[in-house]
Amino acid sequence: MSAATAQRSTIVERLTKSWLYIGLIGIGVVSFVRIITDTDDLTGAGTIRAAIIATCPILAAALGGLWAERAGVVNIGLEGQMILGTWGAAFFTYHYGPWVGILGAALLGLVGGLLHAIATVTFGVDHIVSGVAINLIGAGAATYLAEAVFPEYEGGGPRQLNGLEAPAQVTIPGVSDLANTISDQHWFFVSDVASVIQALTTNISTLSLLIFALVIISALVLWRTSFGLRLRSCGENPQAAETLGVNVYLYKYVAVLISGALAGIGGGFLALVASSGFSTGQTGGRGYIGLAAMIFGNWRPGGLLAGALTFGYTDSLRLRDTQSVHSLLLLVAIGLLMFAAWRACRKQVKGALVVAAAGALVMAWFLLTDSVPREFTVMTPYVTTMFVLALGSQRLRMPAADGKSYRRGSAG
Amino acid sequence: MPSEVDAVQLRGIGKRFPGVVANHDVDVTIRPGTVHALIGENGAGKSTLMKILYGVQRPDDGTITIEGKQVVLKSPTEAIEAGVGMVFQHFMLADNLTVLENMVLGAEKLHGIGDGARTEIRRISERFGFDLDPDVLVEKLGVAARQRLEIAKVLYRGARIIILDEPTAVLVPQEVDALFENLRELKAAGNSVLFISHKLDEVLAIADDITVMRRGTTVGTADPATATKHELAELMVGSELPSPETEESTVTDTVQLSLSDVTLTDEFGRNLLTDLSLTIRRGEVLGIAGVEGNGQAELVETIMGMRIPTSGRIMLGDQDVTHWHTRQLREAGIGYIPEDRHRHGLLLDAPLWENRILGHQTRPPSSKGMWINRKGARKDTERIVADYDVRAPGIDTPSRALSGGNQQKLIVGREMSGDPVLLIASHPTRGVDVGAQAAIWDHIKRARRNGLAVLLVSADLDELIGLSDTIQVILRGRFVGTFDPSSVTPQDLGTAMTGGAA
Ligand SMILES: Nc1ncnc2c1ncn2[C@@H]1O[C@H](COP(=O)(O)OP(=O)(O)OP(=O)(O)O)[C@@H](O)[C@H]1O
Ligand SMILES: [Mg+2]
Repeated sequence: MSAATAQRSTIVERLTKSWLYIGLIGIGVVSFVRIITDTDDLTGAGTIRAAIIATCPILAAALGGLWAERAGVVNIGLEGQMILGTWGAAFFTYHYGPWVGILGAALLGLVGGLLHAIATVTFGVDHIVSGVAINLIGAGAATYLAEAVFPEYEGGGPRQLNGLEAPAQVTIPGVSDLANTISDQHWFFVSDVASVIQALTTNISTLSLLIFALVIISALVLWRTSFGLRLRSCGENPQAAETLGVNVYLYKYVAVLISGALAGIGGGFLALVASSGFSTGQTGGRGYIGLAAMIFGNWRPGGLLAGALTFGYTDSLRLRDTQSVHSLLLLVAIGLLMFAAWRACRKQVKGALVVAAAGALVMAWFLLTDSVPREFTVMTPYVTTMFVLALGSQRLRMPAADGKSYRRGSAG
Repeated sequence: MPSEVDAVQLRGIGKRFPGVVANHDVDVTIRPGTVHALIGENGAGKSTLMKILYGVQRPDDGTITIEGKQVVLKSPTEAIEAGVGMVFQHFMLADNLTVLENMVLGAEKLHGIGDGARTEIRRISERFGFDLDPDVLVEKLGVAARQRLEIAKVLYRGARIIILDEPTAVLVPQEVDALFENLRELKAAGNSVLFISHKLDEVLAIADDITVMRRGTTVGTADPATATKHELAELMVGSELPSPETEESTVTDTVQLSLSDVTLTDEFGRNLLTDLSLTIRRGEVLGIAGVEGNGQAELVETIMGMRIPTSGRIMLGDQDVTHWHTRQLREAGIGYIPEDRHRHGLLLDAPLWENRILGHQTRPPSSKGMWINRKGARKDTERIVADYDVRAPGIDTPSRALSGGNQQKLIVGREMSGDPVLLIASHPTRGVDVGAQAAIWDHIKRARRNGLAVLLVSADLDELIGLSDTIQVILRGRFVGTFDPSSVTPQDLGTAMTGGAA
């Protein structure tokens, strides 16, 4: 008994330690690249702040994907639910202020989730087909509703509604200033960490904090409560869950509703924080990127956070200057080479060679050019996801009954 | 505590599926504090009846009375509330979840989902000798461990009426004895057990009452104190009880399969198989005896190309096949009966004829050039259904709708078609009734006379002794003893399997 507990705690220790190491090494590498290429923008507080803003909607969508898929429902309708969320946020914020606006965004996303749940759980429609339909319906409905409602509003037009009040921002006075001073020194490592701290303590939106908190809350609920265990069992083996007295339909419904609400909150973030108003087509495929972040993260909260941060960071760099995008190449090359070395250590020779070759190619690209077309970064999330799938597909483990339709009474 | 009210009364139960009457006019009465055995041939309707009692399926007619109260069970939840627990014929486990998670699912209120549950699982595991580690992923468990987990799940919940649908099909005699010991204790504590098995010795050993089913209805009862195996078999199928006697040896001199010093290590560098060497000649059956989890599954998967040995060599005839893929091996004439038919043998939602094509998708009669030959495949499926007595409404029914034993017969028929040169058989008669078991043995013997080499892994020692020309005992990934089936007794094998002096 005690031996087993001891063993478990070492596993926990090892895991947290390895996350810590990976994080430290990551910051070290970025810092190294910043100094080598002399692009301070790479970790400037401005960049980090932009990265956080770019991360949040992706993160919310990814969390939505996690909830649905853990219960065995593939939700590619995230994009549509997000679009509904942008409209909901605009409408409710205009009338009742930003916090009700966020609730409104969640509510509209939840309506999208409800549609998806009715189609897939009750009627057994193919999850992809239903998801695509929801995306079309979501985009169509938001456009229609905007045209019907917003032109009458102050600051509104058929395709936008500007001047919405944003949720409050917070600053932690002393920390913020100190971090600012340190990050301006451009020291190796220390200044980079300071930039991150500065971004996190200066004018950060409470909605961002809420979304980050939701990652932790989701992890706790899904993995530490019996509710979460039941929900996950529906994604792993619904027949077995049924024979143990779990109401599978109910749990799938709850999961997909939560999923839609989270995507809606992501949409709300776009309308209220990332920009100062609603405009049609504002999501720009972030629902899909959220799904990619979730797959990248191996259907786990920590992983999808890493995925969303990666995509958010590259996305924010794109918006700043081309010089930093070029530096990004060096970062990718070093990352790939390190990954190759790690694989070689684990004696996965073939995999190591493939990754090393890719790393060498990117390195050559970095050395032989001095700028990268901006458009390149737009595809980063997709390219990264494909890379992860290609390299790690054997280690990725999605819920076993994910995307399969389930009928009551089919057990045995 | 044991009252005189009957634990369960089933009256006039009927259940129809498209094209089949699975149950009609079924009457069963289970006395409190007894083990009640339900026997009957494959497809007789035993599992269907149990699913009705557990609320998975609703009966079309009839009434269910549990402990004196008439109930309508709309879902397993209601059955669980009424005190019923069930171990299904096919495993109901989530592979990606741990033993603990599978165990507490649905019963989180009892001991929580953390350390309380962990302690309770350890207690059950220790008490009943189940050897279950709560924090292992179920994916890593072999069939016998899964079976023990399924039984432990029911014990954990503390059900008063316990249904066990073929819990012993993959357990070796020692494990069966341990299980029976538990059942007697449960019985003494006033619980009732419904026990389904095709192994009549076990039924006679444990049951207080026996009910026989045939063609969807109850056809009689037997008294285990006086009945014999022969009588039970006759009641079930109306035929003689077969005995797996082997005739004169058909072993030739041509080596069909040989393994030399095959070692397999897992990702942590532990040896799963250590320096295994064996040869099987044409016309020879090599039996592998062992408690499950000692390397049988790994050995079979290594030969089938599902795992690549870390070192050593595998020869099929005179070809080195160590690094061949499963498809190449199958095309070279290896038939494979997997240990878990639902995980590896079938597409449950595909019709029988499509299942016939699996593993034969590049060979006639299932294909013609690059095209699937529908007509050929369908015709050959009809042949298997007739030859192996697969009871099914038609070859277009999905294989999920077949009873467990009939699914098994279909797989055996498929793997024996196309004249294989080597058959790798894991528990080939798992879950089939005595009549069908004899028929499958006959098929194997006939093929052996024509030169088929067979590697037979089985938990059924009578089957091993009856069919094999040589028996190897495997323990912790090594062969620890070779036995001649004509002189060995099940007791000897049992001792060797657990590491006692051979
Ligand atoms: N879901 C289903 N759909 C259609 N037919 C079914 C279904 N389940 C069972 N059947 C049919 O009902 C009959 C009884 O099946 P059942 O599984 O109860 O047999 P069994 O007595 O348990 O046999 P075995 O010993 O092989 O397990 C069979 O003919 C089977 O084909
Ligand atoms: Mg059955």
